Amino acid sequence: MAPLNPYTYIQCPCSDSASLGRPSDATSPTSADGDEEDNAFDPRAPRANFSLYPLEYLLYCEDCHQIRCPRCITEEIATYFCPSCLFEVPSSNLKSEGNRCTRSCFQCPICIGPLSVTSIEAPPSDPSLLVPDRAGTPHTTYSLICSYCSWSSTEIGIQFDKPNSIHAQLAKIRNGGASRLTAKERKERRKELSHRGGEAALAASSEAAAGQDMDLETQFANLKLFYNSQLADPNAGDNGFSSLGDLGFSSPSSLSRIMNLYTGGKLHDPRAKSKLGAMREAITADEGLLETDLDESSLITQLHQSDFLDTASSTQICSQPPNLGETYIYGAARFNSSLRPVPYLLRTKRSKRCPVCRHIISKPEAKVQTTRFRIRLVAGSYIPSITIRRLNLPGPNGPAAPAILGDLLEPLKPVHFVLTFKNPIFESLKVTLGAPAKTPGRFPSKVTVLCPQFDIDANTDVWDEALKENDRESSGRSRRRAGTESQFQVEVGKIWERGRNWVSIIVEVVPASLKLEPGRDVLKQDEDVLEIPMFVRIEWEAEGGGDDAASGTGRDKDQKEKKELAYWCVLGLGRIKQG
Amino acid sequence: MSSKRHSILPAVSAGPKPPVHFSSSITIAESALLTGTNLITISSESVIHPRAKLDSLAGRITIGRRCVVHERTMIGAIGTSGKVTEQAVTLGDYATVEVAASIEAGNTIIGEGTTVGVGSKVGAGAVIGKHCTLTPHTEVPAGEVIPDFTVIYSNGMRRIDKRGVADLKNKGQARQIDVLRRMIPTNPAKFA
Repeated sequence: MAPLNPYTYIQCPCSDSASLGRPSDATSPTSADGDEEDNAFDPRAPRANFSLYPLEYLLYCEDCHQIRCPRCITEEIATYFCPSCLFEVPSSNLKSEGNRCTRSCFQCPICIGPLSVTSIEAPPSDPSLLVPDRAGTPHTTYSLICSYCSWSSTEIGIQFDKPNSIHAQLAKIRNGGASRLTAKERKERRKELSHRGGEAALAASSEAAAGQDMDLETQFANLKLFYNSQLADPNAGDNGFSSLGDLGFSSPSSLSRIMNLYTGGKLHDPRAKSKLGAMREAITADEGLLETDLDESSLITQLHQSDFLDTASSTQICSQPPNLGETYIYGAARFNSSLRPVPYLLRTKRSKRCPVCRHIISKPEAKVQTTRFRIRLVAGSYIPSITIRRLNLPGPNGPAAPAILGDLLEPLKPVHFVLTFKNPIFESLKVTLGAPAKTPGRFPSKVTVLCPQFDIDANTDVWDEALKENDRESSGRSRRRAGTESQFQVEVGKIWERGRNWVSIIVEVVPASLKLEPGRDVLKQDEDVLEIPMFVRIEWEAEGGGDDAASGTGRDKDQKEKKELAYWCVLGLGRIKQG
Repeated sequence: MSSKRHSILPAVSAGPKPPVHFSSSITIAESALLTGTNLITISSESVIHPRAKLDSLAGRITIGRRCVVHERTMIGAIGTSGKVTEQAVTLGDYATVEVAASIEAGNTIIGEGTTVGVGSKVGAGAVIGKHCTLTPHTEVPAGEVIPDFTVIYSNGMRRIDKRGVADLKNKGQARQIDVLRRMIPTNPAKFA
């Protein structure tokens, strides 16, 4: 069994139903209610998993004086950028060009490594390898090459004429090297043809287009054109079935109604009121009809001829971006030869806000290259950190064995743990601890916090402390570990050890025995882990005024204001020995 | 300062000095470690970096022309089998063994132009074809036969390199060796 390092998880109060919908402020402490004290937090409850976080994961809202976890903050996207070229993409481009980098950043479709543009030189005619051949060939083409797995875009028959704007070039090339028209080009060509020759030329071009493989983009463009022309052209006239036709999917009125649902326009389009005749469906490829190709024999023969390495894995297929130039919607990308370079997905920098008071909790620097934060209110700089150490007191028969990290706990034998609270703020803290006498769960262990109430000094300057050292010693307020260990006794109500901005206390635990009724019960996963819930309440005096001007209490700037924060945390102490 | 040993571990015994057969044009750093009892042959223009270890205890080691053997490599490691064969390791021409790679002894053959990546391990008796690439931390099991132009990547996935740049790579290797010869002070006389 894996040894267990002691850990401290803090429960974010957002999951507590009592504090929901009631924004807490400094004037009305939330945790002092009587009903909350009755039900101790159970770290084994299924819901607890979703509210416990290490201190490092938590943020803190200075205005609400509340811990904020990743679940109870609202995020805003500050910038979009490409992780490869670190180019910041304006959010307006995002709508038109999608969430991938449209420069020359690509990932290998085989191994996700970054691809680099490399020129393809003609094979050297001179076989002597000693002479470095630097003479550029007149026709240099470029390809994308993965330096990790040696994949090259020449494997899927794609070469580029220019080393830049690869994304635009790639959109015009099908796998295998055949060129395809982009949507814009197709529109222009259509316009040109209709100008020149009218219907006859258009028909001729559509014949040619049908001969080609119709890709998704073409099909969509054709369908859209067809439906637009159908809606604009009320040639069907009135017939007896027009009211019946209105009910069908193909009727323009129901179509426009459906479109309205998605576009969010007015429910009744004025055009819909003027009764249009029944629309017909697309019947030719030019109108966007794509016949399902059920004949897969060519694919099957290709599979027969290729081996396993030629087929694409499901992860490779899943990482492929939606390709508008793809021939069919079905049967896409079975072979490595049909994979395409994957443009990098854009990433974001996000700022985080408190959902209650809308104050910014975390805001990164807008520039992509910098990793600094403008605002970052992490909980670690507001609430005390708790570290756990096992204490082995010397027994009557000789010195104790040193405590080994992850050592199993003997059932029914009292163990002592040293909890060290470290104060991160510049005010002295008053800490009150509360723990249920027995841990919740099937195997209740007895817990005694020997010193449930204590003060921690402020996190002052290190040098101040050094200068004050002598005063402090003489005042007798601090108790430091001095002399041999055997002089120390665990005393109830006394602080174990105290430092500049930290205090150690002792928790005595009597682990439960994990005796099970034989043959009837089994130990559930991690049920042998000794976890104690602990309610921590901290009080401190903060500078008045500032943000609390509205509450009226902090009118005087110099007046100290009492603040408090209370939360549950879970201390994982170790595993209990079984049997 | 540089001559002092900083490690607290006892010095590794150098072992027997192997018979060597060096071409006159090789570059071998003084701090390369050559041990064993069988012949170590290094052909023309090959480069052995400092602290590369060649162990011919389990058989002969032959290194082809224009090979580069990087630092902390272990060529001719006696693997789990510990068998002694006539030919322990053969490196074809233009082969590269990168940092901290290990090639076990026992008729192991690395083909021409093959790159054995950083920290890779080639088992005893493996035969790796020509112009293969073993990406970093690849492990080739003992006795495996790998066809030419294979790329082994990401925990043993395999594919065939179809770029056809073997000649270019060889040319690049020649240029790199040109540079390395200027960078690494050679002392073949130490091993003779």
